[in-house]
Amino acid sequence: MISVNPDLISNEQDKLDLNNLSDEQKALDIKNLNLYYGEKQALQNISMAIPKGQVTAFIGPSGCGKSTLLRCINRMNDLVDICRIDGEINLHGENIYNKHVDVAMLRRKVGMVFQRPNPFPKTIYENVVYGLRIMGENNRRVLDEACERSLRSAALWNEVKDRLHDSALGLSGGQQQRLVIARAIAIQPEVLLLDEPTSALDPISTLTIEELINDLKKQFTVVIVTHNMQQAARVSDQTAFMYMGDLIEYSDTNTLFTTPSKKKTEDYITGRYG
Amino acid sequence: MDNLNIGRHISGQFNEDLENVINHVMHMGGLVEKQLSDSLKAVYENDKELAQKVLASDYKINNLEVSIDDECTRIIAKRQPAAGDLRLIMAVIKTIADLERIGDEAEKIAQVALESFDSKQQDLLMNLDNLGRAVLQLLQQTLDAFTRMDVDAAIELHKADKNIDRNYDALMRQLMTYMMEDPRSIPSVMSVIWSARAIERIGDRCQNVCEYIIYFVKGKVVRHTSPDDM
Repeated sequence: MISVNPDLISNEQDKLDLNNLSDEQKALDIKNLNLYYGEKQALQNISMAIPKGQVTAFIGPSGCGKSTLLRCINRMNDLVDICRIDGEINLHGENIYNKHVDVAMLRRKVGMVFQRPNPFPKTIYENVVYGLRIMGENNRRVLDEACERSLRSAALWNEVKDRLHDSALGLSGGQQQRLVIARAIAIQPEVLLLDEPTSALDPISTLTIEELINDLKKQFTVVIVTHNMQQAARVSDQTAFMYMGDLIEYSDTNTLFTTPSKKKTEDYITGRYG
Repeated sequence: MDNLNIGRHISGQFNEDLENVINHVMHMGGLVEKQLSDSLKAVYENDKELAQKVLASDYKINNLEVSIDDECTRIIAKRQPAAGDLRLIMAVIKTIADLERIGDEAEKIAQVALESFDSKQQDLLMNLDNLGRAVLQLLQQTLDAFTRMDVDAAIELHKADKNIDRNYDALMRQLMTYMMEDPRSIPSVMSVIWSARAIERIGDRCQNVCEYIIYFVKGKVVRHTSPDDM
C-alpha cells in the first residue's frame, strides 16, 4: 500500500502574513501613498508590504491605478509634470522619495520591463550589456559573462547564442521581451517591475515568460501588473486588487482567487458588473 | 436561486451555462427523490412492478451525472471560473456524484422489494417505514437548500443526520432481537438490514451535499470537522 504523508499534500504552504512581515521579509514597504495627477487623485492612501523573493501581482480594471503604483516604485512618475506624491515607499528602510536619493541608482536596484518590448537598435549583445557599459564596465570578460548569465536567466541563451552580434530588432516579439528582461537583470537589480509584460505576445511566448517569471523570483523580487487575471493566478504568490485608486484587497493568490473576502474583488475576478 | 448570484456576469453566455448546469442538477435531484420514494413505496406495499420500474430508471440518473460532469468540464475549460463561480462548479461536481450514489442506494432498496416475504416477514419491512420517511424528508430538504444555496438550512440539516443514525441504531437492535428469537428469520431480516443500511447511507450522502453548500457559500471546507466548527 502506498502511504502518503498528509503534510506533503497540505494546502497550507508557508503562507506569509502580509500584515506582519518582518523587515528581512520585506522587499518594499509602501506607506500611506497618495498620488495626484493635477487635481485628480489617482492613488488613495495605499499601504502594503511587498515580500522579498516572491511574485506580487497588481490586478484591476483600466484606470484603477495599478500601473501608476508600479511606476511609483522606481519613480517613473517623476517624469510627469503634473504628478504629485506624498507618502513613502521604503526600500531597505529608506524612503525612495527622499531628496538625496539618486534616481539613477534607484533604477539600478529596481529594474523595469514594459508592455511592448523596447530593444535598442543595437546588437543582442550590446542590448544586454548596455547597463553595465554605462556604469563604466568595459572588461570584455566581465561583459561576456554577464551577457551569458542574463540571457540564460531570461531563457533566451539557447536561441540566440550563435547570433549575439546580430541586430536585436530581428528577434520575434517574445524573444525581444525576454531580451529586455535579460537587459534589466544584467545589472542585478533587487526588484524587477513588469508592466503587462505579455500583453503584446502570443500564448506560447506568454507561457515562456510566465515560466521565466517563476525562475526569476529565485533571484529577484518581482512585481507584475497584468490585465490577464489567469496570468496573475498562475504566476504570483500575492495578488493585490485595486479599484479606482484604492487597494481593495491584498492577500495570497490562492485565497484571493478562491475565496476573496471583498465583494468588489469577487465581482471583478468572476467577470460580473458591480 | 437567491444566493447563487449567477445572473450578473458580463458574459450572458456564461450566465446561461451556469443556469443550465444548476437546472440540470435540480432535475437530477428530482429524479433521485422520485427513485427513493418509489423504492420505499415498493417495499412497504410489496409492489414488485414499481420496484422493477425503479431498477429500470436508474440509467437516467447515471446519464445525467455524466452529462453534467461534461458541462462542468466545458465551463472550466472555456471560462476558467474563479472564486464563487469556481466553488459553485466544484460543489456541483461533488453533489452530482453523491446524488448518483443515492440513486444506487434506491436501486438496492428496490431489489429488496423484489424478494418474496411471507406475511409475517412483511411486518419486518414496516420497521423501515420510520427511517425511510425521515431520510426522504432529509433528501427533499437538502435539495431544497441546494436550490436556494441556503447555508443556515444546510447547517441544520447536517446536524439532523444524527437523528437518522439514531433511528438506524434502534432498528438494528430490534432486528438483532428478531434474529436471536427466531434464527429461521435470519435471511429475510438480513434483507431488511441491507435496505436499512442503504437508507442510512443516503442520510450520509445528504450530509455531504450540505457540506458542499456550506463550501460554496462560505468558502470553508467543513468536511471531517465537528458540527460546532461550522
